[in-house]
Amino acid sequence: MVCHLFCRQIKFAALFVLLFSAVILPACSSTESETPPTPSRLVYGLTLAPSGLDPHLNASSELGIPLTSVYDTLVYLDEETGQFVPGLANSWTVSGDGLVYTFTLRDDVVFHDGTPFNAEAVKFNLDRITSPDLASQKARFMLGPYNRAELVDEFTVKIYLDQPFAPLLDSLSQVYLGMASPAAVQKWGDEYQLHQAGTGPYVFSDYAPGDRLLLTANPDYAWGPELYSRQTASIDEIEFRFFTDPATRSPALETGEAQIMGEIPPQDAERLQADAQFILQPQPIPGSSLMFFLNTARPPLDELPLRQALLYGANRPAIISAVFRDTSPVAYGPLTAVTFGYDPAVKDYYPFDPARAAALLDEAGWLDTDGDGMRERNGQPLVLDMYLMGWGFMPEVGQLLAAQWQELGIGINSQIVSYPEALAIGAEGGHHLIPFTLSGSDPDIMRKFFHAEAQFNWSKINNPTLDSLLTEAAQTADRPTRANLYSQAQQQVMDQALILPVRDYVNLNGLNNRVQGLRFDAQGWFPRLIDVTLAAQ
Amino acid sequence: MWGRYIRRRLFQPAFVLWLAATLTFLAFYFTPGDPAQTLLAASGAGPAEIAQRRAELGLDAPLPVQYIRYLVNLLQGDLGQSWLHGRSVARMIGEQLPPTIELSLAAMIIGVFLGFALGILAAIRQGTWVDTLTTTLAVVGLSTPTYWTGLLVILFFSLYLGWLPSTGDGSFQHLILPALTLGFALAGAIARLVRARVVEVMGRQYVLAARARGIMPRPVLFIHILRPAIAPVLTVIALQFGFLLGGAVITESVFARPGLGKLAIEAILWRDLQVVRGVVILGAVVYVLVNLLADLAQAWLNPRLRDELT
Repeated sequence: MVCHLFCRQIKFAALFVLLFSAVILPACSSTESETPPTPSRLVYGLTLAPSGLDPHLNASSELGIPLTSVYDTLVYLDEETGQFVPGLANSWTVSGDGLVYTFTLRDDVVFHDGTPFNAEAVKFNLDRITSPDLASQKARFMLGPYNRAELVDEFTVKIYLDQPFAPLLDSLSQVYLGMASPAAVQKWGDEYQLHQAGTGPYVFSDYAPGDRLLLTANPDYAWGPELYSRQTASIDEIEFRFFTDPATRSPALETGEAQIMGEIPPQDAERLQADAQFILQPQPIPGSSLMFFLNTARPPLDELPLRQALLYGANRPAIISAVFRDTSPVAYGPLTAVTFGYDPAVKDYYPFDPARAAALLDEAGWLDTDGDGMRERNGQPLVLDMYLMGWGFMPEVGQLLAAQWQELGIGINSQIVSYPEALAIGAEGGHHLIPFTLSGSDPDIMRKFFHAEAQFNWSKINNPTLDSLLTEAAQTADRPTRANLYSQAQQQVMDQALILPVRDYVNLNGLNNRVQGLRFDAQGWFPRLIDVTLAAQ
Repeated sequence: MWGRYIRRRLFQPAFVLWLAATLTFLAFYFTPGDPAQTLLAASGAGPAEIAQRRAELGLDAPLPVQYIRYLVNLLQGDLGQSWLHGRSVARMIGEQLPPTIELSLAAMIIGVFLGFALGILAAIRQGTWVDTLTTTLAVVGLSTPTYWTGLLVILFFSLYLGWLPSTGDGSFQHLILPALTLGFALAGAIARLVRARVVEVMGRQYVLAARARGIMPRPVLFIHILRPAIAPVLTVIALQFGFLLGGAVITESVFARPGLGKLAIEAILWRDLQVVRGVVILGAVVYVLVNLLADLAQAWLNPRLRDELT
């Protein structure tokens, strides 16, 4: 009985709602269409949730993809000329001894929180980055032999170094040394990374860790470097989402959930390329190639002929074609071909020549005496330990290399280990072979790998000539002289067969064909979002 | 009677939590890889700077000292700061907890309903093709890794049919596919168990006797069979919460959802001890609570058990 009553009421209510929606709602929407159009919006897929998002504190490359548009830097690196151009600094001078940099700043710049940008802000940022309390994971080290910053007047600041450091301007051109609002940093403390404020063309407006990051256009932006084509951003909102599983990236583009996506797996890239709705935009990344370090301190790899045999016995083009579907160039030296200082002479080293590899092994006394297909010497089988990390296609590359070397009679014990474990093995020298790669626009990156004291000296090389070449190059301002020093260093590395270079890194970006004007900065990783436009559907 | 039972049940949790904390600590320290080195990998810092960072993180102290510091912090309720993010661990967990709870509950609901339905169906049609089909389905659900099922449902529902978004978080639509993926795997485990239990109870003498006399219509039979049959299933469902947290890790990654799983993976990859510890302790607390609830529910469903336990 009760139901009878209620049901009737519910029926009436339903009828009313129906009528309401039929009559009133269309009226509402028609008035809405006269108001300004909905904001333009783009979803940009990042490939991993950045491991921390504060550029002064954290080190990931992913963080720079959104934040390069949130922070401005004192200078910018023109990727075409290799010259530094003004950013927040109008001009700068370097003292004759290379120890003092004086920056004259723009006086018309305002942070997203409304506070003014000035020399004090620059000093605050540099103090923050170098403070032990922050425990910076990257920015601090990019400043090299930094000593202190000093105010001259409201818009002039001096940076003092203990030694000359040629990469300083390159460092200052990167988001890790971007200028943050001192007021916002002080206000938010440990939680600053959720409330970042810079001076860039996009405002950091909402960040849900692990889920998404929203940038909105900064309408007041008027101090962009000459490298930007537009004065203010065209797209109102850019949402960044995290696609950690490579297999999900291409589908997200295809369902329209994202319009730009980085690091498309090579096999999906082929499919995207075939579809007119999408554009594949491969972006070469400067820095080191993907290289396998040959541990010169662990027998038998202390023998040069054996190391050379490994290089001659590696069919790199076959690997590039099988693993990367020819989307990356073969690497021949420690630096990728788009890096300043790259010496094309490395291309002449170690072409694939299994006969030569076999001859080198024979001469060194590594012979297959017992006919089991594996070489040995004095009863000692030729077996090498290879450790691989699970990312960057290292397992796939390692597997193919092992197969190629096995054909030459070299046994490979390969094992996949975690990143921290690989770092420990590399540092301790428990390997014969271990791959790694780092990106960066300055060739000083070589010092991280081949200087006797370097963290990544995984070839365990201690070569005074190489050390002094790399140290001198880091302190030399003149570009041609620097380039010359680096080409000598590259030839040293290849002469001694310290590494097996495999692949130049290329970031395969997938784009919806409505996306126009996407270009990347000199680092190769970081998009200039201000210039991106979205064509009408 | 109940008081004694509950009191006894509270000593165990404290022990479980201590054990979880200690095992985490030991696993962390005996896993190769150094946090300071990992944190500074991309910096180009030299060995001296890495050693300095290690000292700043307190990692140069002897193992027992580190262990005591670790337990003391925990007893004070201080989960500490993430080495990687420089933020409070409690806050970071607080942010990632809601999406994980949402996903786990949704998957649990799907898993329980589907699992019970399939299990009962298989049991009452025992030996027929219906039984074979549902049992096979259950095994497929149980043994298919969620990253694969996840991709399949994305391909079908998002790419092919275009019905649902494949990735992200924020609306009910976003929850459906991940919950289905995780729930399907769970349903497999539950269905097998429910089937086995129902078959067993159906074979008991009192049921056979009741049936033989023909006095029990189907619904009543069901109540008499199901109540004894599901009691142990409850414990297994509670245990499956652990599976859900584990499965959520992969599922979150496939569907690009935020959550504790992703936080934990990142922390493990970066040797971010404080965060790993926070997540493990939280997991242990949830586990203990859910098991306690399951035991209480069992005792309520089965009076004999109540007497045995007290």
